[in-house]
Amino acid sequence: MALEIYAYQCKKCGQLHYPYRMVCKKCGKNKHNEFDPVPLPKKGKLVTFTELYTLPGDFAVATLWLGIVQLENGVAVTGQLRLPKPKIGMNVIGQVEPVRKSEFGQNLGMVFYPAK
Amino acid sequence: MREVYAIGSAMTSFSRLEYPLSEIAAYPAMFAMQDAGISKIDHLYVANMGGGRVNGQTGLASAVVDSLSLTPAGAETIENGPASGASALKQGWMAVASGLHDVVMVIGAERMREVNNLEATDFVATLTHPLAEYIYGVTLPSLAGMFTRLYMEKYGVTARHLAMVAVKNHGNACLNPFAHLHQPITVEGIIDSPEAMTNNPFVADPLRFFDCCPVSDGGACVILASAETAKKLGKPMIRLAGVGQATDTHCVHERAEPTDLLAVRGAARQAFKMAGVKPSDVDVAELHDAFTILEIVESEEVGFFKKGEGHLALERGDTALTGKLPINTSGGLKGKGHPVGATGVGQAHEIILQLRGDAGKRQVKNAKIGFTCNFGGFGNNVVCLTFIREK
Repeated sequence: MALEIYAYQCKKCGQLHYPYRMVCKKCGKNKHNEFDPVPLPKKGKLVTFTELYTLPGDFAVATLWLGIVQLENGVAVTGQLRLPKPKIGMNVIGQVEPVRKSEFGQNLGMVFYPAK
Repeated sequence: MREVYAIGSAMTSFSRLEYPLSEIAAYPAMFAMQDAGISKIDHLYVANMGGGRVNGQTGLASAVVDSLSLTPAGAETIENGPASGASALKQGWMAVASGLHDVVMVIGAERMREVNNLEATDFVATLTHPLAEYIYGVTLPSLAGMFTRLYMEKYGVTARHLAMVAVKNHGNACLNPFAHLHQPITVEGIIDSPEAMTNNPFVADPLRFFDCCPVSDGGACVILASAETAKKLGKPMIRLAGVGQATDTHCVHERAEPTDLLAVRGAARQAFKMAGVKPSDVDVAELHDAFTILEIVESEEVGFFKKGEGHLALERGDTALTGKLPINTSGGLKGKGHPVGATGVGQAHEIILQLRGDAGKRQVKNAKIGFTCNFGGFGNNVVCLTFIREK
């Protein structure tokens, strides 16, 4: 089964949120964790990006490409990029992969590749 | 509500300091008390972000109030990320304005260089969302880098504009004996020269080394009091006339328009409204230039210039020491340094010096109205202050 990361949809008004929050940002009526998890779509457009040269100590790479991607359903996420030539507005496709390893284990997150 | 005045002010050098965090907090407090001519206070607020994590010291205010032999005055530590300093000033303002206290001491202190640069950057990165940002390796420079790229694309800001902010603020810092960096730089040297890629390497593309503030230790202190007390001391009457604060989404990716800094806009609006002045009335301002892009964008969001035109004002020299509206006369975070919890108090200290006419070689002529913007997280919690000299 493919790994998923979820957005959270308000059961009252349908607003999507990522990441999870306690109260709906649109209707404000959702007070009892009434959100449906909805898998994040994988296709999106690159909003902006950077190549980071000064990394936190637990990354064993020289630089890290990071970006914000607007997904098909309008939800935006931050993620790591594996794009040979990143450009604002380009189509990308994401997948869930390990993004950070530390002595306590590894974190899974969104990693984006060029859309074919 | 009562009116609130700054009666005493002081700071340590912002640099690498080889003494404990509690002393970094205590020294400027002693000098500020001397400046005010008082020996007792009613309450103490200490702004600090990293004591617990970086220095292994929690409950900093309790340590400092005792070290200064000011017990049994009440004391609290205030943490609001890099906006802790202005937040603590806001608490102090509330305490005096409400009538709860008459004389309140506000200290900001940080000792970040006890750890190496990577650890310091990682400590500040804990401000980001733990699951949706931090796990990816997102740091404050990376958020600033992504923001800068969009701003360049949308408004035509270039690497030269960013370098001009750095050159201006390094120049101002050279006139400030308390600044971290006393290093004049030129646009040619850091952008055009063959050595530029070596002396000014990328940190978070398109941001380079000279676009980012240094990691500093430092402390600052401002003492606030009621009008009655301030008048008795016979000091210039500098009123903390406007206080504003606003928040924005924790994750930068959740913002509807990612080039807007709505918390800056909201906080500034409140601080001007309360003071009864307009952005165009301001004579001198300290804006939170942790990254050069932020000085440009904050100068727009607080209302000094139209959105997307801050870099044009910079080009014209409007924000230079001799311009229409000098910004970051102290050197800003870029040149003066950025001991995170102390920064907001340090900004207020510079404005108080300017309004008193005590800013020496960097004095802005006849400065009557000053403004500060202290920016927490990547713009998710911002505090702005307006100061007015009354006579």
